[in-house]
Amino acid sequence: MQSSGGVGAGRRRSVRVAAALAALCLALFGLACDSASEVPTLEQREQRLNRAIMCPVCPGESIDQSRNPLSAQMRGVVRDRLEQGWSEEQITDYFVESYGPSVVMEPPASGFSLLAWAGPPVALAAAVAALVVALRAMRRRAPEPEAQLTDEESEEYFARVEEALRR
Amino acid sequence: MIEAGQIALPIALLTAVYAAVASFAAAWRRIPELSVSGRYAFYAVPPLLVVSSAALVYAFVTSDFSIRYVAENSNLAMPRAYTWVAFYAGNAGSLLFLAGVFALIATIAVLSIRRKLPYTAPYATGIMALVLAFFLAIIVFFANPLERLPITPPDGQGINPLLVHFGMFIHPPMQMTGLIVVAIPFSIAMGALLARRGGRDEWVDLGRTWAMISWLILTCGLLLGSWWAYTILGWGGYWAWDPVENSALLPWLALTAFVHSIMVQKRRGMFRTWNMVLIIVAFTLAQMGMFINRGGPVPSVHSFAQSTMGWLFLAFMAGTLILSLAAFVWRMDSLRSREGLDSLLSRESAFLAQNVLFLVVAFVTLWGTIFPVFSEAAQDVTLTVGAPFFNRINGPLLLAIVFLMGVGPLLPWRRATPRNLVRTLRYPLIAAAVASVVLFAVGVRQVPALVALATCALVVTGIAHEWARGVRARHGRGENYALAFGRLLSGNRPRYGGYVVHLAIIMLAVGATASSFYSAQRDVAMSPGDTAALGDYSFTYIGVSTVEFPDRTEETAEFDVYEGDEYLGRMYPFRAVYPEFRIASTRGAIRSTPVEDFYLVPSEFNDDGSAIFRVLINPMVWWMWASGPVLALGVLLAISPRRQPSPSTLRLPANTRAAGA
Repeated sequence: MQSSGGVGAGRRRSVRVAAALAALCLALFGLACDSASEVPTLEQREQRLNRAIMCPVCPGESIDQSRNPLSAQMRGVVRDRLEQGWSEEQITDYFVESYGPSVVMEPPASGFSLLAWAGPPVALAAAVAALVVALRAMRRRAPEPEAQLTDEESEEYFARVEEALRR
Repeated sequence: MIEAGQIALPIALLTAVYAAVASFAAAWRRIPELSVSGRYAFYAVPPLLVVSSAALVYAFVTSDFSIRYVAENSNLAMPRAYTWVAFYAGNAGSLLFLAGVFALIATIAVLSIRRKLPYTAPYATGIMALVLAFFLAIIVFFANPLERLPITPPDGQGINPLLVHFGMFIHPPMQMTGLIVVAIPFSIAMGALLARRGGRDEWVDLGRTWAMISWLILTCGLLLGSWWAYTILGWGGYWAWDPVENSALLPWLALTAFVHSIMVQKRRGMFRTWNMVLIIVAFTLAQMGMFINRGGPVPSVHSFAQSTMGWLFLAFMAGTLILSLAAFVWRMDSLRSREGLDSLLSRESAFLAQNVLFLVVAFVTLWGTIFPVFSEAAQDVTLTVGAPFFNRINGPLLLAIVFLMGVGPLLPWRRATPRNLVRTLRYPLIAAAVASVVLFAVGVRQVPALVALATCALVVTGIAHEWARGVRARHGRGENYALAFGRLLSGNRPRYGGYVVHLAIIMLAVGATASSFYSAQRDVAMSPGDTAALGDYSFTYIGVSTVEFPDRTEETAEFDVYEGDEYLGRMYPFRAVYPEFRIASTRGAIRSTPVEDFYLVPSEFNDDGSAIFRVLINPMVWWMWASGPVLALGVLLAISPRRQPSPSTLRLPANTRAAGA
C-alpha cells in the first residue's frame, strides 16, 4: 500500500488530466459538427437518393448498386428531377407513388413500420436492464473478501512465479 | 462410377443414423463398447461421401448431362475450372458439399474429444451424427445431386455467370463450412450438459478451440464474400445488409460473444449457464442462416441455392432449439457458477456487457431482416428494411463494442479500482485525443467517423502499451527485445492471440469507417479519347476490345490513369454479357494502396463506342482485406496448444486462494 497522500495527489492529477482530455474531445466534436453542416452538392444529394431508393426488380439492391437497365433509368429520373429543383422528399414520394412503399430502403417512421424503428431501442433497454440485474445478482453471490497475503508470503510467491516463468 | 456414388449416399445415411443411435444408447446405458462402435460408424461416413462427391465431380468433368444436377449447373461452353464451383452452385450439390465437409471436420472433432472428454464424447458424437443424418436424409429423399434425368439433353443450362469469379472458389465453401461447423462446439457443449459435466469445466478448452475454429472459418467466409462483392458486383461497396449477408452475420455475432465469454468460464468458472445459452443461440442462428439461404422468406441477391425445402430447415431448426432448451432446463442445476462477481468494475462484467451488445446487434439485424415478413403478414404491405436502417442502428452499437474491445482487456479480472482504471487507460485516452486532433487537422470532419477512428486509436494504444509493458518487464530480466516479444506472445497464447485478432478487427473497422464516410463516386459517360477526373486522379478512355464466346461476350476497356502528374499505368475494367441469363457480370479494375483504392468499373457499352463508367475512390479498403491473414494468425496463436506448467509449483500459501495477482 502506498501512503494515502500519494494516492490522493495521484488521483487528483489523473482526474484533472482526464477532465482536460474530455473537454478537448468535446470542443473538437463541437467544431466538427459545425463544419459538417456544409450545403451538399447536387451530386452528393443524387448519390444519397440513389442509395435510399431500391431497385423494384432486383431484390435487396439500391438503384445506386444495381446494374439493371431499370435502375439506370431511375437514376436518370433522380438526376433530372433534382436539376429541375425538386426536393429529395418529393422525388421519394414520386417513386413511392409509382412503385409502392417497398421502393424506399428505410421503412417510414410512422404507422405500423414505426415498430421497425421501435424494436431496437426497446431491445437495447431490455438488454441493459437484464445486464444490470444479472450483474447485481452475481454480485450478491460473491464470497467474503479473502485473506490478503502478508509481505513475506507474497514475496515468496512471486519468487516462485519468477522461477516458473524462467523455465 | 455414378452408380457407386448413388449407392454410397443411402449407406452413408444409414451409417450416420446408426452412429447417432449407438452413441446415444451407449451414453445413456454406459456401454463403452457400443460407443466405440458408434464412433467407428461415424468415421465411416466421410469416405462414403467422398465416393459420392467423386462421382458428381466425374459427372461434371465428363459433362454427363443425364444427371439432372450436372445439366442444370454446367454446360459445354463454361470454363472447365468452374466445374468445382458448379459442384456447390445449386441446392443439391451444395447440400452434398455441406454434408461431406461436416462429416470430415466432425470426424476430426470426434477424434480430438474421445480421450479427453470420455463422458461427454458419446453424447457429442451422437449429436453430430444426428446433424449429419439430417443433411443426408434431405439429400437422399429430396435433393439427390446424382439423380438421373429421363431424357439426356444435348447441353446443360450452364452456371450462374455471377459465380464465375475467383472468389467463388473459396467464399461459398468457406461460408457454408463456417455455418455448419458451429454444430461442433454446440455438440461438445450439449454433450457436456447431457453428461452432467457442464459444471466441471473440462469441456471448456476443446469447446473453445472448436468455437474459435468455426469462428475463423465464418469470418473468412464473410471477408471473402465482401471481397467478391467488392471486386465483381461493380458498385464499389462490400456489404449491403442484404438478408443473406445478415443471416451469415448473425451466427458470427453470437459466436463472437461465445468465444469471449467462454474465457470467463475457463479462467474463473463463471458464466456456465450463459455460455450454454450463447452456444445454443449461435447454432440456432447458423441454421437460420442456412434456412434463409435456401428458400427463406426474404428476397435477396444471394439466393443461388434457392429451393422449396426451406420448411425442412425451419423444422430442423425449431426441433434442435426445443430439444436443446429442454436439455438445458433439465440439466441446469449442474451449471452453478464456481464464483460470484467481485466487482461491477472488472473484466468479467466488461465481457458480459460485450456479450449483451453483440446479442443486441444480432437482434437488430434479425429484426430488420424479418420485419418485411411481419409487415406483409400484418398489413399486406411490402416494405424494405435496407442498408440505411442497419447503418444507423448497428453503427453506434458496433462502435460501443469496439470501445469495450479497448477497455475490457485492460481491466483486471475480479476487481478494478477507479484509480488503476485511470492509470491503465491513461495512454489510450491520450492517444484517442491526439488522434482526434490530428484527424481533425487533416480534414476528417464528420463526427461519427472522428469518434470511430479515435476509438480505434484508443484500442491500438491499449494493446501496444500492454505489449510494451510485457516486453520491458522481460527485457529487464535479461532477454533481448525480440526474444522477449516472442516469449511474451507464446507465454499466454489465448490472451496475445486475442490481441492480434483485435488488431485485425481494428484494421477492418478503420477500413469500413473510412470507406463508408469518405468514398467519392461518379458515373461518367466517355467516348474513346475522353479524359475525366475524380479527386486527384485523371483517366483517359482509350477504347474497348470485344471478344465473342459461345455463351458470352467479353468487353475489356482500356484506361490510362494518372494521379496528379504521375502515370499509374493501364487499367482494364471488364464486363461480360451472358445473353442466355440476361446477366452482365463486371469486374472492376482496382488500383489498391493502403491509402485508397481507385476503382473503375463499366456500367454500359453503347454501340457508338461510348460507354458509361463508374469511378470510385474508396479510402483504406486495402486494410479490410489485409486484416484477413492477421486475423487468421491471431486465431491460430490463440488456439495453439501449449504445455501447461504443473500447477503445484504455483500453489499459493495454504491459507489463501489465487488472487489473480
